[in-house]
Amino acid sequence: MALLKVRELKLDIPKEAKVLAERMLSDLEKSKRPYLEAVKTSLDNSNYNAKVGYLTPGDKVVRTELNVSSVQKLARVVFMLELLLRNLDIGAVNTKRELYYMCKGVIKGDSRYKPLDFEDQDESDSIIDFIGDMLEVYREELNCFANDRGGQTYSQQLVVTETLPDGDKAVVDLSTLGTTPFQPKNKPQSLKLKAKKKIDFCLVVESEGTANTLQTMGFTKRNNCILMGAQGVPSNGVRGWCKLIEAQLDVPMYFFGDLDAYTMQNIFRTLKAGSAASLIRNGDFSAPNVRFLGVLPGDVKKYDLPHYKVKESDPAEARALKKAKDALENDPFFRDKKNKDLSDILKWLIKEKVRCEQQSYFSVDPKDPIKTEKIILEKIKRGDYV
Amino acid sequence: MSKITKSSTAEYFAKNLQQVGFSSPLKAVLTTLKEAVDNSLDACEGAKILPELEIEVKKVGVGSTKNTDLIKIVVEDNGPGIDGDDLAKVFGEYLASSKFGRGQCSRGQQGIGISAATTWAQMTNAKGVQVISKTKNMRKAVSAQVDVDIKTNTGILRNKETLDWKKTNGTRVEFLMDGRIQLNGDGGLQTYIEGTVLVNPHLTVTYKLGDQEKATIERVSNESPAIPEATLPHPHTFKLGEFITHSHLYGKISLSKFLKTGFSRISDQSIKDFVKNGMPKALVEKQLTAMNEEDFKKVFTAVQATELMAPSTKSVLTVGEDALSKSINRLGEVDFFSVMTRKPTICDFKPVVVEVALARFINRGSEGEPVQLLRFANRVPLQFDKSGCAITWAIESVNWKSYGLSQPKDSLPQGPYVFAVSIVSPFIKFKNASKETIDASDELVEEIRRALMQAGQKLSRHIKHEMKEADLERKLAHIEQFGPILVEKLVSISGANASRKKKAEEGLRKILGRDSDDAASALEEAQNKLAAQKQREAKKLGTADEADKGSGL
Repeated sequence: MALLKVRELKLDIPKEAKVLAERMLSDLEKSKRPYLEAVKTSLDNSNYNAKVGYLTPGDKVVRTELNVSSVQKLARVVFMLELLLRNLDIGAVNTKRELYYMCKGVIKGDSRYKPLDFEDQDESDSIIDFIGDMLEVYREELNCFANDRGGQTYSQQLVVTETLPDGDKAVVDLSTLGTTPFQPKNKPQSLKLKAKKKIDFCLVVESEGTANTLQTMGFTKRNNCILMGAQGVPSNGVRGWCKLIEAQLDVPMYFFGDLDAYTMQNIFRTLKAGSAASLIRNGDFSAPNVRFLGVLPGDVKKYDLPHYKVKESDPAEARALKKAKDALENDPFFRDKKNKDLSDILKWLIKEKVRCEQQSYFSVDPKDPIKTEKIILEKIKRGDYV
Repeated sequence: MSKITKSSTAEYFAKNLQQVGFSSPLKAVLTTLKEAVDNSLDACEGAKILPELEIEVKKVGVGSTKNTDLIKIVVEDNGPGIDGDDLAKVFGEYLASSKFGRGQCSRGQQGIGISAATTWAQMTNAKGVQVISKTKNMRKAVSAQVDVDIKTNTGILRNKETLDWKKTNGTRVEFLMDGRIQLNGDGGLQTYIEGTVLVNPHLTVTYKLGDQEKATIERVSNESPAIPEATLPHPHTFKLGEFITHSHLYGKISLSKFLKTGFSRISDQSIKDFVKNGMPKALVEKQLTAMNEEDFKKVFTAVQATELMAPSTKSVLTVGEDALSKSINRLGEVDFFSVMTRKPTICDFKPVVVEVALARFINRGSEGEPVQLLRFANRVPLQFDKSGCAITWAIESVNWKSYGLSQPKDSLPQGPYVFAVSIVSPFIKFKNASKETIDASDELVEEIRRALMQAGQKLSRHIKHEMKEADLERKLAHIEQFGPILVEKLVSISGANASRKKKAEEGLRKILGRDSDDAASALEEAQNKLAAQKQREAKKLGTADEADKGSGL
């Protein structure tokens, strides 16, 4: 069964793998040290160009040359590669955890492989990620998928047409789903989006619960919009889905989440420009036009929102602040002058050492169940976003 | 109003024996043994006699108090002996000491310990200590039971008689008291004996503890430690009250004379400096007895405000690296060790010297356990309450990981090691009267820490050598394990034939062989460094030939 592709990949993975193995083998025959190279996926190898809109890889590569210390890693890479190639060959798909156990199964069946055994999933995950970065292909293109998380979407106007692997088409009109949301997959799907009626905007809410509240109180009934819950740090599914909405429907997209360093860097930045860890895939997994609707520093004052002092004794919060300082210096996204308004928010957070949650809008008028909706619409109307 | 009564020193201690080491049956036995041994060793050193001790601790029945045994503790020495007339004072009177406040590095200081042991025996078994003693000048030995008269703080001799004794000189004490015997662990008797043996290379001891076989450990040094002259206290170590009390010892002399003879490091020039710093000139030649508290306060403040030369370090004594090296081998089969004697220095205006011995023993301790810590103050093992001690603090502050030892955060390092740290000073500040922990001042902790780090560096050469050895083994194993899999999978993915597979395997062996050669030469280098260190250590031990063989590895 062939899967539909997330993009037109020019690369033939099995062929590329064969070339790679051939090159390494020939090095060995000549008593030369074979090596593997992969894109360096870190901030110091990330470029940002506001016109492109997402983080792209620089020239740095991670080179693993054969020596006594690296021989284990190289053996593990080719071992895992063979397994993935077989999956591609027969059209089987797996999650990372399943691959972890499949490796264990193969190792159990042949005592010669025992030294390769993975002690925990982190070890096999890092090998899979390395193979992706080495071939510069998406994990999904190696038929390896994460489980679906986040991205529950509500709309009265959106219609999704999916072309199935056998050529059949499935049409999903979101307005007919009742209280059930549409759930994007962490797998590449061939989806065609259409608006039955003009869609005014797409709102991505950090908290799944708050998205659900807005929906229940009639947000999508009163507004021609797409409403989505991100559920924290966006998964590949959510990121790909936002990209798809941005690419196929020309609608403004707003993100509504907490005002803190973690949300700004880990959630919003990832949604908008991708991440350093996923450098090779940011092109298909980021929505550069998404805007930060709030909570904005100005809203705290304007709506007199309850907020909290960041506890520097809390290791997670202290780390987020430290990371924020680091981001201002080293993250090309926040350093770009196009994103000055966003880096100003980070600076404000570092200076004020406070955090304000998205749910604090519910404090403005507790008697009005749709006050939060009103504030959101007012902000969109006024252009009060970054 | 209730009547105010005055109690004797003996009464105070009899009621507060827990303050001086008698807080539990276990500690009672250890403290008694310790006090008796301290006295014997101090006496031997004072008379320049190489000590030979016989020790016996055994259970002889059931104790009178709940959950205790009746324990017999015997310590016999070849010291100078005690005159019959002094027995009552030595064993039965508190604060009767030849060493109190004298500024010498002796084990005992105040004259509390042995009297407290007598009191404990008397309280739990209704009999004080049984003593036999003979000096060279006595024709016959004297034997007596000494009790403490609690009401008057005086010793009472009972059943005094003379007898023929096998020794020309020496003292034998025998206690029968309630207690319990614990051999091993921090508070164990065996641990005590080992510690004492370690820091007293000139000691020969024969001991029988509980049901153990009788054992003898011979001395490894024939030099009795030269006890340095007593030193006068440094004025900067005093508090006002102490200062005034100190002056009472000097009677009717002038202030300047008191300052110059009662303290170290005060000269005529210093007196002038004191005046500059606010000491009224009129007081300089004033008689001490004529001075009031206000005067003393002015003098004291001026003295504290004036810079003085640091105290002399001549008054401290060391065991010495050579003797310590030999001594450590008496505790068991040593795998390797490192010793460090720091130069005497000044901490908190008191002369102090720190010595450290780190050793790994074959058949002793294990990887996952904390190291065994032996603490010493003036060559007396400290066995209780280690967590509050300056020595423990210093050890925990060192990053032992950099020397190759594993160490949980803020804890003692782990492994089959013995860490012995000895502090010698005429004025050690203890946290309590039972002398169990050394008060931790920043300066002292830093000094101990330095000694530990120097010893740690030496130790790390041994450990690094072992690590390099393991590294080579690991690398060789690595190649054998992963090499064939790598080739096999490459062949499978590329679809190559068997002859190419063979060629690639050969190539792999060549490449990885070069790596293992590198590891082997790193090992060789580590070996050479270690051999050089072993040579130096062997010279100290005087067994250069054996060490030559040993360093061949």
